[in-house]
Amino acid sequence: MALLQISEPGKSTMPHEHRLAVGIDLGTTNSLIASVISGAVSILEQGNKERLLPSVVHYSSSNPLVGSEAKNLQIKDPTNTISSVKRLIGKNLSDIDTKFYSLDLKDDDGVIGIQTDQGIKNPVEVSSEILKKLKETAEKSLGNELYGAVITVPAYFDDAQRQATKDSAKLAGINVLRLINEPTAAAVAYGLDQNKEGNFVIFDLGGGTFDVSILNLSKGIFEVQATHGDANLGGDDYDQVVFEWLCKSNKINVTDSKIKQKLFALSREIKEALTDKDSIKINEIVNEKINIQCELSQHEFEEITKELTKKTISSTLHALRDAELSVSQIQGVVMVGGSTRMLCIQNAVKEFFKQPLLNNLNPDEVVALGAAQQANILAGNTNDNLLLLDVIPLSLGIETMGEIVERIIPRNSTLPVSLGQEFTTYKDGQTAMIVHVVQGERDLVKDCRSLAKFTLKGIPPLIAGVAKILVTFQVDADGLLSVSAKELSTGIQSKIEVKPSYGLSDEKIKQMLEDSFNLADEDKESRALSEAKTEALQLCEMVENAIKKDSNLLNKKELNLLQKNLIELRKLLDSSDRDNIERTTKLLNDNSQSFAAKRMDRSIHKALTGKSVGSLEI
Amino acid sequence: MTQNYFEIFNVPMQFKIDLNRLQQSYRIIQAEIHPDKFVSASQIEKNESLKKSTEVNDAYQTLKNPIKRARYLIKINLNSEENNSTLPPSFLIQQMEWEEHLESISEQKSELEKFQLLIDGEYQKNLNSLESVCDKDKNWDIAMEMLNEIQFIDKLNSRIIQQINLVESK
Repeated sequence: MALLQISEPGKSTMPHEHRLAVGIDLGTTNSLIASVISGAVSILEQGNKERLLPSVVHYSSSNPLVGSEAKNLQIKDPTNTISSVKRLIGKNLSDIDTKFYSLDLKDDDGVIGIQTDQGIKNPVEVSSEILKKLKETAEKSLGNELYGAVITVPAYFDDAQRQATKDSAKLAGINVLRLINEPTAAAVAYGLDQNKEGNFVIFDLGGGTFDVSILNLSKGIFEVQATHGDANLGGDDYDQVVFEWLCKSNKINVTDSKIKQKLFALSREIKEALTDKDSIKINEIVNEKINIQCELSQHEFEEITKELTKKTISSTLHALRDAELSVSQIQGVVMVGGSTRMLCIQNAVKEFFKQPLLNNLNPDEVVALGAAQQANILAGNTNDNLLLLDVIPLSLGIETMGEIVERIIPRNSTLPVSLGQEFTTYKDGQTAMIVHVVQGERDLVKDCRSLAKFTLKGIPPLIAGVAKILVTFQVDADGLLSVSAKELSTGIQSKIEVKPSYGLSDEKIKQMLEDSFNLADEDKESRALSEAKTEALQLCEMVENAIKKDSNLLNKKELNLLQKNLIELRKLLDSSDRDNIERTTKLLNDNSQSFAAKRMDRSIHKALTGKSVGSLEI
Repeated sequence: MTQNYFEIFNVPMQFKIDLNRLQQSYRIIQAEIHPDKFVSASQIEKNESLKKSTEVNDAYQTLKNPIKRARYLIKINLNSEENNSTLPPSFLIQQMEWEEHLESISEQKSELEKFQLLIDGEYQKNLNSLESVCDKDKNWDIAMEMLNEIQFIDKLNSRIIQQINLVESK
């Protein structure tokens, strides 16, 4: 180890080896994993040399099958084979139309439960199986333990869907460096690849979702200007239209779910064939009664899917207006997602923007590639100066009298963002209240997505209208919401308890995690001790470095206190006294909070003056 | 942070500001303190970065948007957030005329677009006057009155755009 360790304040505690960081595109149909290896980004191949891992999990024995093996059992055993779980994640049973699924879906304590031969599985568990498989792939092919991952989500994912995605990563034992939006990841792949500057549109049509984002790229900063989309529009909808056309033109009426599956697969093949053919003849004997013979031309395909294509263009227009930009101010249009291979989409987008499209990177892979580049940067493996400034895709609001939504954080606000809102009591002695948070652009609560009901407890009993409760809504860089509250008139702050009521509770996640490790009690204790020590060590190093660099921000008393805490905590690191370690860590943590704040102010000041006076700094 | 928003970005405290410079300062600061720069840091630094980055975003959004910037400037100078000014009768009549016009053309896209251009022109014109009231006259009471008008025009503008989006998606 080096004798002298000097590092930038806060940015890294010590020089480190190359950390294995990956980008994961957790897709509706397929998932991919990529990593930067000796400076070049590439997709990591699965065991069978495939680059795409079908997002399918099969549960019939105790060890679930994931990927192609699971997909092969889809038709044979549809109820135990779960595909497109991304459409279910972070949702309630009432959000979805169960008749479109061949699965046995039920309500499982507020989240969706899927009945399989191995018991009820929830979407978080199913996703985590896919993630585990990807993690395995990475560790096998790179021969190292995974440090962390950037996982992509559709820009249009709401808070519950993001939270659930993060939970599945946790369950798979993956350290999530950041959740980033798929179109932003694609922009990184193109931007870094070609050193571009200006305004860019990312048009992302996947299997089940559509996103359009507008970004401004300048000197390594990617600032999202606006995003729009449709969480229920994708290539699958084009398949559906072809399916309906097939049934209609051959005068067939399908009720049997297996035949339906077959015809759906056929419809997809037809759609895919039309990406490089003018017309396709279909001649397929489905069974003794159904014999399909017909022809679909490119032109006719374009006609029957016209309404879907129009929806994507109208969303694009919307995003442009939100960004206050016109078509002539767009320097490039990036095409992402397998469904942008359809010629009707390419033609419509080309015509709208009146310029050629950027699609030289494989549209299936570009998201994972961008995510891997971002992961490499976040893990501190490179000095590339890149910063993503992303936005919240949907407005956050709260329910007020008459089931009207009051908007508190408007959509397209740059993350992280927070807003405080004051509430008061309406009854004498009231000690609790419920804050209902919704996400969406409509005025009525019933037209928005209900995110959470937070119960505020522990309000001091006062006369109605006297208590002033300041509720702060914070959305972090992952796009995740947290809520905190304090009572202003009496200064009682921390006692107010905020309890969210959606998705899986923290206890449930913890339970699932413990079940998956299957640890004995002493193992749990040694794990907890080692976690406490790691945290303590990290904090010690941070504070020591900070003192070395910026001790002049502290007065003598403050400095002495921190040094005393440090010595105490360093001593405890050799012991196995977890309670004491945790207590002293917290103490040091509390005592160095204001020091950390002062240092950050100083770094802002330095950055600004440093840049404006050139390199006069000594 | 005891600095006001103008001080944070090192721009002069007035209505007319150099938006390019604002953006540049904003980006320099975020490149320093954004949570992405603290992914492997200690919890304490993570919290601090989240807090600061949020604050800087808020400050940036406030100064970037002319209406929010004016409101903030008036608040600093009047040292209060109270808004007692009422709209003058002449503006109320104008307001009603615009409302009626919007009603009558609500389904015609080309008329809506024409109207939107007109209102946008009004918006720009009023912003120019506001600039001189703030930066030359420094008459904050009049500025407040004008701001209320501009705010109405801005809301009308977004309603027209919303209507255009609606007609289009039909």
